[in-house]
Amino acid sequence: MTTTSVDHPPPPAPPAEPASPRRGPGVGAGAGALNLLNGGFMLVWALITTLPLLWAIISSFKTNTEFLSDPWGLPETLRFDNFARAWSTANIGQYFVNSVIVVAISVPLTMLLGAMAAYVLARYDFPGNRVVYFGFVGGMIFPVFLALVPLFFVVRNLQNLPLLGEFLGLNSHLSLALVYVAFSMPFTVFFLTAFFRTQPTSIAEAAIMDGCSHFGLFFRVMLPMAKPGLISIGLFNVLGHWNQYILPVVLMNEPEKKVLAQGLAALAISQGYRGDWTALFAGLVIALLPVLIVYILFQKQVQAGLTAGVLK
Amino acid sequence: MATVTFDGASRYYAGNDKPAVDQLDLEVEDGEFLVLVGPSGCGKSTTLRMLAGLEGVDEGAIRIGEREVTNLPPKDRDIAMVFQNYALYPHMTVADNIGFHLKIKKMPKAERAERIQEAAKLLDLEPYLERKPAKLSGGQRQRVAMGRAIVRRPQVFCMDEPLSNLDAKLRVQTRTQIASLQRRLGVTTIYVTHDQVEAMTMGDRVAVLKDGVLQQCDTPIGLFGKPKNLFVAGFIGSPAMNLIPAKVNGEGALIGGQTIPLTPAQRSALTGTNVVVGVRPEGWTLKSDGEGIPAMVEVVEELGSDQFLYCSTSAELASVDTEPADEAEAPHTVTVRAPGMSAFQRGEKVALVPQPGAVHLFDAESGDRLPD
Repeated sequence: MTTTSVDHPPPPAPPAEPASPRRGPGVGAGAGALNLLNGGFMLVWALITTLPLLWAIISSFKTNTEFLSDPWGLPETLRFDNFARAWSTANIGQYFVNSVIVVAISVPLTMLLGAMAAYVLARYDFPGNRVVYFGFVGGMIFPVFLALVPLFFVVRNLQNLPLLGEFLGLNSHLSLALVYVAFSMPFTVFFLTAFFRTQPTSIAEAAIMDGCSHFGLFFRVMLPMAKPGLISIGLFNVLGHWNQYILPVVLMNEPEKKVLAQGLAALAISQGYRGDWTALFAGLVIALLPVLIVYILFQKQVQAGLTAGVLK
Repeated sequence: MATVTFDGASRYYAGNDKPAVDQLDLEVEDGEFLVLVGPSGCGKSTTLRMLAGLEGVDEGAIRIGEREVTNLPPKDRDIAMVFQNYALYPHMTVADNIGFHLKIKKMPKAERAERIQEAAKLLDLEPYLERKPAKLSGGQRQRVAMGRAIVRRPQVFCMDEPLSNLDAKLRVQTRTQIASLQRRLGVTTIYVTHDQVEAMTMGDRVAVLKDGVLQQCDTPIGLFGKPKNLFVAGFIGSPAMNLIPAKVNGEGALIGGQTIPLTPAQRSALTGTNVVVGVRPEGWTLKSDGEGIPAMVEVVEELGSDQFLYCSTSAELASVDTEPADEAEAPHTVTVRAPGMSAFQRGEKVALVPQPGAVHLFDAESGDRLPD
């Protein structure tokens, strides 16, 4: 506040600029060319990703003769027996169930632990917060291959634990799931920390005023609010765990415990001698299908999750 | 229902020696609507958050009724808060938002529904109970935030600039709604705002804060009629009071050739030789025959009901020698209120005479009001 408030008369307005015919950015011929380039690029990209997929799906309905004589053509009739062969003869069914079991344990566990860790790192200030956070972030650059040999021994020794030992050790779905959880935590925590940081403090304060405990605040307010982020990262983990190959190769060597990726690899190797290509493609489609369905179902939420920081 | 007492309450922020709230002593009566007002960073929000328990209290104490709450967690203080951005839970319906506290308190479902219904009815929210906050307008969201506070039937309401996200028209409407709602419910309310019009229109009493220090706490009329110091005088009232530094001689204080007489009590209270003369825009009489301070109209602001004239005085207004650095701020200008639709023109010459009862005198050294 000044002692008296007086506005001086405004200075005369500058002479209006002559209307210019210049176009703003994003308007006119230049933008058209840009759109074409954009669209063209997207189209090429889409073809690169979908065509092999389509080819695999089409091939899975052919007979082996059709496949070898005319790899690019359409099948005469749809051969569903390829799928039956893959499912039962090549044991894909068993592997499929194994994969489902492992992912059903590993993904919820990753999400629960990841979300809890990320929430605390994002919203509570305590000594060592940054150290823990960078510990997780550092974990992202640690390659799986470097850990394989020690991991094998660690997991093998897990069976010597009292009580839990009989559920763990090599060839245990639980062990494999726990290893998946360990390897997914860094990125999950990294991603969700950023997500929880964007959530408005005042909502947390409102919940505290409403009488929430720290756990209530997390499970009743913050976690539901983070749903888009949870879906994105959850899907990312489902994909990663479902397609995991090298870890099960090291940790699961009993035939009836193997997961889908191993089964497909076995199927592909055995093709060298038996030449049942269409069954291989059928197996591939079986492996692909759940991932594809999940992705299509949650596509909107994934987009929302990835752009959540941008909006607001 | 309860009184609220701040007893020398202070709050220091980490890495800052100066307290955000400094030795605050404040008594809020049972059922009173108290407004905390001040410029940004004056500590008004911090004060509110200290009461709510979202901010710690470093010194002193806060009591609600007879109960000391200084170190109680927010949920045990029986306080409801309305936030500036409403802070509604985006994943819950309006009904769930309003009833969240009751749900946490494990109130039976039927009773809860009844309480929600009651609050919704009070705020005209019944048609929206099943909607999510994202599907509501700004005014509706604001009402949901109010509903969330009302449904708890707390001892104290805390409101942190609840109207600042509304557009101007809705703000004026909601202002009266909140004030009348509060009178009807009779719940002690502390309301933070930076808008002095809101403060004056809503509060039973208004507390003006500056730099974490309470300047004055009084009724709107008391605040407007008898500002305790220069800051309050300049802060309350729009347009602001004209504050003119003046030298005191044997007859009185000199402004622009006019003498403002001082009472003996005022003289004895004076610490130096200078005073600041304060005259509100409505405290001037406009004369045209040249017997007052000669001035020229620079800008005319027509509001319809009133007209504000921004006049520059040709003569030196202040009778105190100002430092060269202050030259730019040395007042040569005076704001004057004239009746609406008056025929004043830019460039017109007028003469200003302060009305005898409308003069406020302040000590130039301390800034305090001199006794009347």
